[in-house]
Amino acid sequence: MQNKDFCVFILTHGRPDNVITYKTLKKCGYTGRIYFVVDNEDKTTDRYIRNFGKENVKVFDKKAFADKIDEGNNFDDRRTTTHARNASFEIARDLGITYFIQLDDDYVKFDYRINGAGEYPKDKFMTRTKLDQIFDSLLNFYKSINAESIAISQGGDWIGGFADSWKFKRKCMNSFICSTGREFQFAGGLNEDVNTYTILGNRGKLFITIPFVSLTQAQTQSQAGGMSNIYKLSGTYIKSFYTVMMHPSGAKVSMMNTTNSRLHHSIKWINTTPMIIAEKYKKENTCE
Amino acid sequence: MKQTNLFGKDVYQDEEGEKKYTSKIEAPIYEPKNKKPHILELCNKSKTHQLIREIGSSKLSYEEKTFLVDAARRHNVFNYEKIADYYAHSNPEMQHLMERSALVIIDFGKAIEYGYVRLCDEISKQYLEEYAE
Repeated sequence: MQNKDFCVFILTHGRPDNVITYKTLKKCGYTGRIYFVVDNEDKTTDRYIRNFGKENVKVFDKKAFADKIDEGNNFDDRRTTTHARNASFEIARDLGITYFIQLDDDYVKFDYRINGAGEYPKDKFMTRTKLDQIFDSLLNFYKSINAESIAISQGGDWIGGFADSWKFKRKCMNSFICSTGREFQFAGGLNEDVNTYTILGNRGKLFITIPFVSLTQAQTQSQAGGMSNIYKLSGTYIKSFYTVMMHPSGAKVSMMNTTNSRLHHSIKWINTTPMIIAEKYKKENTCE
Repeated sequence: MKQTNLFGKDVYQDEEGEKKYTSKIEAPIYEPKNKKPHILELCNKSKTHQLIREIGSSKLSYEEKTFLVDAARRHNVFNYEKIADYYAHSNPEMQHLMERSALVIIDFGKAIEYGYVRLCDEISKQYLEEYAE
């Protein structure tokens, strides 16, 4: 990594022996710093420390962070990544690191979605050795603009292949690149990524998904630990309604017709995020 | 040979007959329309008004009604395309206050537009290096 003011935070819970993302990062050539963000309610904390070293495992007080935000429920259930995401800013500050990327613990690969000719790659996708350079490029872009966060696309964004354009999306999920200088708060006990980019996006904060690369997660509800138990409990039914509750003028739930049909949030973008327009439309005020 | 696919994308066939999907790299910078919309077009308040009518006809206390009316405004549906159109045709004072309320995002110095194209070039080059090795 050329950027030395950067690290990876892997947000993880209950999977000390199966942090897939760690292996994937190493395999794909990432050489920068990696920290494991673990909550103090995780019974496997000692094993994380044994596996990865005390200096690399950052334990935060989950209840304390839960008490600081609107969880959107009164369940007293803290099985969520929301608090780890919010704790990351404080952990980064303590480490003296300005920029970081939050990654879940179950990424099996990172892919290119654009090839050397500026086209959607036909067969060769996988990043094999260049993850350092990819993270550097993403971070340089993030540093150059006034966005709260940027993220890379997910495998799910590409179901159906290259059907849209190279225009970026105004959302962020999973892999948030953040700065301690642009701190924001994730909201809601579930669906915190969507809640956050809709609530803050609605107030003119910029969140961007970069389409040129993507990450692929191990299939939800098939991995032990993490958030799997809570998703199995309610499917995505309850999860989806958090965003409707928090952004009722632009979010609704609708049926997602994939192999396993389920309810999912649906965002009406024209009613959610203010448009980005060129500076030429801004008129100079000639009156003193 | 150039064709257009279902999504309106240009599809090229190279010499080996393989299809390639190409597209112009650009950030989604909104281009305001030439016509200034009416101010009432910027925000749909029908759900809010419906809720406020129900609140008004209830027997709740003044404080509770006030709270519910505040909450009902969460259902105001803003149309950000029309808002951007309106901004482009407004006077500087209105523009300033619209910016203060983050109703549009100005791409100062084309930082987003140029930065995005540069990012695309870099990732594209990294792909080329990776698969040329």
